[in-house]
Amino acid sequence: MIQFLFVLLFGVAAIWFGVKVFTTASMMRSALALLFSMAALGALFMAAEAEFLGVLQLMMMATEMSIMALFMIMYMMSPGGLTPMEMTHQKRFSLVAGVVTALLIVSVAVSQFREPSAVAVAPAPDAQLRGLGGELLERSMLVFQAAGVTILVAMIATTAVAMRRHE
Amino acid sequence: MSVLLTGQLVAAVLFGVGLYGALSQTNLVMIMMGVELMLGAAMLNVVFFWRYLHPEMYSGQMFMLVLMTVMAVEMAVGFGVATARFRAKGSVEMEEAGELRG
Amino acid sequence: MTTLAYLLLVTLGGYGLAVVEEWSSSGRWRPSAPLLRSVALLARESLSPRLLDRKLFEAAPPLLLVAGVLSMAVLPLAPGVVPVELATGALWLNAALVYVAVALLMAGWGPDAAYPMVAGFRFLGQFVAYAMLVVMPITAVAMRASSLVVGDIITSQATLWNALLQPLGFAVFLLAAMAICYLPPFDQPVAPGELAGGVVGEYTGARLVVMRLARLVLVLSLALAVTVFYLGGWLGPLLPAPAWSVLKTLAVAGAMLAVGRYLPRLRTDWPLEWGWKVGIPLALLNIFWVGVVLLVADL
Repeated sequence: MIQFLFVLLFGVAAIWFGVKVFTTASMMRSALALLFSMAALGALFMAAEAEFLGVLQLMMMATEMSIMALFMIMYMMSPGGLTPMEMTHQKRFSLVAGVVTALLIVSVAVSQFREPSAVAVAPAPDAQLRGLGGELLERSMLVFQAAGVTILVAMIATTAVAMRRHE
Repeated sequence: MSVLLTGQLVAAVLFGVGLYGALSQTNLVMIMMGVELMLGAAMLNVVFFWRYLHPEMYSGQMFMLVLMTVMAVEMAVGFGVATARFRAKGSVEMEEAGELRG
Repeated sequence: MTTLAYLLLVTLGGYGLAVVEEWSSSGRWRPSAPLLRSVALLARESLSPRLLDRKLFEAAPPLLLVAGVLSMAVLPLAPGVVPVELATGALWLNAALVYVAVALLMAGWGPDAAYPMVAGFRFLGQFVAYAMLVVMPITAVAMRASSLVVGDIITSQATLWNALLQPLGFAVFLLAAMAICYLPPFDQPVAPGELAGGVVGEYTGARLVVMRLARLVLVLSLALAVTVFYLGGWLGPLLPAPAWSVLKTLAVAGAMLAVGRYLPRLRTDWPLEWGWKVGIPLALLNIFWVGVVLLVADL
């Protein structure tokens, strides 16, 4: 019951901050709203007893969204929101698309929902850590290596794209 | 009401909000924020599926780590492209990015 | 009981550290200065800039304080004396410390002034420099303990302290800890002469007290983290366990504060350059070294 209340609370917080991202005029507040939406997602993971994933989400999303705030200030016009600008296009189409997609997902979720016969028990957090580590290094080792190489390639590619050309 | 269903509804609404943002914004940074919201909604779904349908199999958590890697990599490459575009053109508005040359 | 112990540590230890910080910036020992100054600040009027972003301006000091307190919540003073026993304690510390950067960004942007904004974003530059250097030494320490539980990390040092086994990691983590709580020489965000006070420049009255208190809590929490991860936490021969924790923490915090008196302030690009070109290879070398030691010898 308590878990249900927490999931509801953090879920509403995540949605509210997510909507704030696109409705606020100040760009800095937009980036920070996305940060708090992701933090609410991290709290949701912890409420679902995936402790490592929740802590990881909190840490990584705060870092990434702070960097995004930096890029916001670099590349956006009117970052303080003091001169409100209309920066949207095809607004009605995207609103319809968003609502239709959400309703589609909701209908699939509700129609395919079957109440589980027994309440699933999540393993204890330290057993989860060991299990995840074992899974990473035994069964999903190829995925793990591929992800590592992908990150390295992305780092090199990003640096190469963003370097100044000396001509 | 079941906790799993609540989580899925939250993820659906977040996905819708992210899609609205990704389609309606003109600035590349804002489009990327919409994509981040969509990926966040997917991660939420994966974690709730893991917790309530198969908590004994850790491949669910592994997939969640892959999604987080995708999020980080997408953000990095996106900002690299934005930097290059900003240097060439002076803005990252996608309305002006309709042509291939110049 | 646990809460009382931590409150005592924060209050008395924090007061002592405030005196040391006073000595570090002015050179004189004035034991009554923090008390008098905080009372004076609380009594003063709280001014706000004209066009400020009110939500960010108001939310930054509490967020800084909460980040510091949360990071201290997983660090034990004695076996069993810990506010929250998390299975991923070592990672939680890092997660809470990231919100320091968020709070300083908010504090920099809120007042709608040039110097705080520059200071806030210079802290973000510092953050990019040291973010990896906080997590990698923690990885090496957790490797030795085969667990992320902070209590296990302490008990794994019963034979040899981590500071002696992993000196590279110790040096890197200590420097990164000094950079997180923006102590001199990494104190660009609050530079008194250069940036007119930086992020705390536009805060007055009660909010300034909260910002200064938050920074002291952060220094204490990071000193406790260095003690727990590298100096054996509550392990020690004669005194009871909490006494050793407190002594080591205060020694580390005093050392971190005293160093700043003798070093010039570092420009933001120097930590960035050294952190990425020197610090990360050293941290990786540290992880490699710990791996070799764990495979070959059984320490």
